[in-house]
Amino acid sequence: MPDTKRMPLDGALEVLHRRRDDQVVVSTMTTILPWRSKDVTERDLRCVGFMGGASTFGLGVALAKPDVPVWVLDGDGSLAMQLGSMLTIANAAPRRFLHIVFHNGVYDTSGSQPVLAEGKMSFTGLAEGAGYAKAVRFDDVESFDAALDDLMDVDGPVLVELMTEPLRKDYVRPTPAQERLPGALAQDWPTVAESLAKA
Amino acid sequence: MVGQTKPARPIPAEALYDAVKAAGVTDIVAVPDTHVRSLIKLMRERDEMRFIQTATEDEAITLAAGLVVGGRRPLVQIQHAGLFACVNHLRGVAIEGQFPMLFMIGLLNRDPEKAPRDNFDSMVRHTEPLLDVFDVPYYLLDGPEDVGNIEVAMQQALDRNGPVAVLIGDQTA
Repeated sequence: MPDTKRMPLDGALEVLHRRRDDQVVVSTMTTILPWRSKDVTERDLRCVGFMGGASTFGLGVALAKPDVPVWVLDGDGSLAMQLGSMLTIANAAPRRFLHIVFHNGVYDTSGSQPVLAEGKMSFTGLAEGAGYAKAVRFDDVESFDAALDDLMDVDGPVLVELMTEPLRKDYVRPTPAQERLPGALAQDWPTVAESLAKA
Repeated sequence: MVGQTKPARPIPAEALYDAVKAAGVTDIVAVPDTHVRSLIKLMRERDEMRFIQTATEDEAITLAAGLVVGGRRPLVQIQHAGLFACVNHLRGVAIEGQFPMLFMIGLLNRDPEKAPRDNFDSMVRHTEPLLDVFDVPYYLLDGPEDVGNIEVAMQQALDRNGPVAVLIGDQTA
């Protein structure tokens, strides 16, 4: 992996956790369990088993409830599987939509294989090219922390690319908690739907 | 004519549109499709139901699921080739996620004289068997008299919290 400055995942999630209010948060893959260790509300949705789907899933919620802010905690490998989704999101132009891509350079859950074109490509560049309202990359927690309040006020869609450290160096057999994740969405969404119906 | 008693006939776009509306659909999530282009044209022109275009069928399914979370009632409009392309999302989102989701699937290049399973075109021939593999109920709309099944299919999707499909047998008029 190229020598890139990166921030710890935990630090980045802590920044988000401190701003968590009424947002619907859609998490996927590597970030699910670390995020849940910090923050779970009745508006959390977990996407596992259909890599790349988190961003358009969040877009659907945002289009249904335009006044409710939506955060998508996406992965680099995940987004790479559905790059066309960036066009779909830019075209739909959800106003309160923060697409946060954790760019750690590897497929963290499957054995740390490298993400394609690592060191050459930029999700920020892709988002700008697709037509997002704004796209910014951060490689340290402090800069992200300083900018996030303003980014949350920008009319979206906004993409935030966070250069983060991989969680692990090699494949780790899934824990029972991870193995149960593929059924998590069916468990989560009725609760979120109920919360949104009251909004 | 093998396995069917009458040839499929084109359904006027207006009749399909009215049936979709009567089913309570709020949003059309669609990938461009030749087979139902007259229907897509109508949907885009009118603003009674929101029309949302996606780049892929995978995205159409996840976006529709998100709409359901927000209280909407979407229709996913795709072609048979798109169904083959999005099998994992059909499984992982619509079925395993238990989302009530109505699919409209165009059987492009279907020989209207033959039942879909008896067609030469493999995309047409394998559509129903693929839905059978995943236990997805479906209704073949082979003429204007069949459009009432759209409302039936939507209700079934709501009742079972899962996907149900209507198949458009011939190119829409």
